[in-house]
Amino acid sequence: MNKNITVIPRHGSSLKDKLYLPAIYDGVKVTFKHFFKNVSDINAVDTLEYPEEQPTDITERYRGLHRLTHRPDDSIACVACFMCSTACPSDCIFIEATEREDGHDEKMPKSFFIDTLECIFCGYCVEACPCDAIRMDTGIFSLTGSSREDFIMDKEQLLSHKGAFGEENSCARD
Amino acid sequence: MSEMVEVIVDDQTFHAEKGSLLIDLLIKEKVKVPYFCYHEALGADGNCRMCMVEIEGQKRPQIACDTFIKEGMEVRSKGENIEKVRTNILELELINHPVDCPTCDQAGECSLQNFYMDYGLHDTKITIPEKEKGLKKVDLGSNVILDQERCVLCARCTRFTDKITGTHELGIIGRGDHAKVSTMPGKKLDNPYAMNVVDLCPVGALTSKDFRFSQRVWFLKTVESVCHGCAKGCNIYIDHNKIKYQDDVIYRYRPRRNDEVNGFFICDEGRLSYKGLQENRQHEIVLDNEVISEDEAIEALKDLVKKYKSNITVIIDANLYTEDIEAILNFSKEIEANVCAPLDIYRDEDFKDDMLKSAQRAANYKTIENLSLETKIPEKCELLINFNHPGKFEAERSIDFRTHQDPDAAFILPLASYVESSGHITNEEGITQHCQKALSKNDPLPTVIEWLEKVSV
Ligand code: SF4
Ligand code: SF4
Ligand code: SF4
Ligand code: SF4
Ligand code: FES
Repeated sequence: MNKNITVIPRHGSSLKDKLYLPAIYDGVKVTFKHFFKNVSDINAVDTLEYPEEQPTDITERYRGLHRLTHRPDDSIACVACFMCSTACPSDCIFIEATEREDGHDEKMPKSFFIDTLECIFCGYCVEACPCDAIRMDTGIFSLTGSSREDFIMDKEQLLSHKGAFGEENSCARD
Repeated sequence: MSEMVEVIVDDQTFHAEKGSLLIDLLIKEKVKVPYFCYHEALGADGNCRMCMVEIEGQKRPQIACDTFIKEGMEVRSKGENIEKVRTNILELELINHPVDCPTCDQAGECSLQNFYMDYGLHDTKITIPEKEKGLKKVDLGSNVILDQERCVLCARCTRFTDKITGTHELGIIGRGDHAKVSTMPGKKLDNPYAMNVVDLCPVGALTSKDFRFSQRVWFLKTVESVCHGCAKGCNIYIDHNKIKYQDDVIYRYRPRRNDEVNGFFICDEGRLSYKGLQENRQHEIVLDNEVISEDEAIEALKDLVKKYKSNITVIIDANLYTEDIEAILNFSKEIEANVCAPLDIYRDEDFKDDMLKSAQRAANYKTIENLSLETKIPEKCELLINFNHPGKFEAERSIDFRTHQDPDAAFILPLASYVESSGHITNEEGITQHCQKALSKNDPLPTVIEWLEKVSV
């Protein structure tokens, strides 16, 4: 016999296990403990009355709705390099590049769409961007619309979103 | 034929011609060796120093592009020593390089990027943040844009205009850090093969105005095909892509090496011919200004063929694939029609030159000649069935199969273009070559063969 083999005893064959009732009792005990605790002090229950009440635990690392950042002179930071759309696992970033004439770099997006219905909010686009041009630090966690098209964010919408944590401009572009 | 000798490269033995270039052997045997300035069509220049290898008995590493093969030569292309040399040379190359890969069209097919991944990956020793500045966008002419900062001064582009086209538009001016590629004063890059410098440039210093920023190269799919611009039949790569929710589109043609036909290059007109292929296409079946369905069209066509029985002329375009031409010949036999393929219209003496361009501007005219098809259209002809021939012909009634719109056609049936199907063509030298299907359209149009299968009785 190979001495490296450890034999684990099988559970469930004792009389106590076969009766099931003790196990059920253990489970129900936990349920009722919470039930009576909550009923006795209803205000201590951790429930958010959304949307009247808004969450307070959105932190800097929270991946909210995307935004496109600006340079200090307010021009777009994105250089249309397609790194974000290459990294995107759901293929939901649609960019069309064009020549840039304002003296910064040579390239910028003519159009930039994110289909937020296809987006899985993984944040890979933010990781991939070499220009700190796309961020998910808007703190926006809820999106509404009355048609599918409402959820396709265009360049202007993405540029209009504000950062929620102080850092407004791209840290990589000047 | 000179003597074949044995050469040892990294413990492998190869046979090569005595006195030939070592780098040619390494390229042929796919031994990995980095190089910028050497190019098989342009020869050695020895300026980039990237192609260093160690040769037994030589004190210092040698450049493979200027080393001639000798009997019993022992070469080392890998190992710590030589890789250190390469890293150092690359570091020199990168001193002034802007490393703006995110905005550079070459990214993904750039030698500098590739070599950096293979041999670089170093921390720079340069501590001054400023790099030598250059112009980022110089329009050299002929659709070629120069970024002086990205240039590695390999002189491939200048040697192309010196040795291949003999037009001498490009030169390198200045010395050291200030050396820059430029056109001669008052001159523009202006020759019918100019855009080849974009492919020759190993980095993103020369980019094509036509392709610039339209796609990142890693999204493109590539198929092998043959240009239909003239009877030369230059080999090309077709780079295409289907963006999500859009249609499959060609973004560029690139030359494909074939020493028997075009060598390394193609002409600019052929390179840009993909554009015309995608514009003004015919999509609907139209009969007397009315869009009709395919079934109605087949019915109408059959009726016409029946009505004009034994007075039908079929006209064949000399750009169609041989397979299509054969299918048309079978169909014509079936309906007892005369067949002709007028060739005069394709002749264009102004297009011809002594490099690649041929005066016969029909890709498959040789097949028409080989099949000895009639090239004169008969005097009297009542029903004319035209398979995409560009000419205009008189007839009582005509049926036009067309890839592109034709406002004069009364009964027009859309046809897939050559990039939307596959087949063979024979070039003017009699070389038969295969073209792969490049595009799979969202709404594919029928090919000649598909149409004929539908209408044959
Ligand atoms: S968060 Fe993820 S899925 Fe959404 S756009 Fe970015 S990369 Fe794509
Ligand atoms: S957002 Fe960033 S990664 Fe995406 S295209 Fe713009 S610069 Fe490139
Ligand atoms: S522009 Fe390109 S091909 Fe010409 S010298 Fe510079 S790197 Fe070489
Ligand atoms: S020479 Fe003719 S076949 Fe070759 S690329 Fe030019 S047009 Fe096309
Ligand atoms: S390829 Fe040999 S020196 Fe450039």
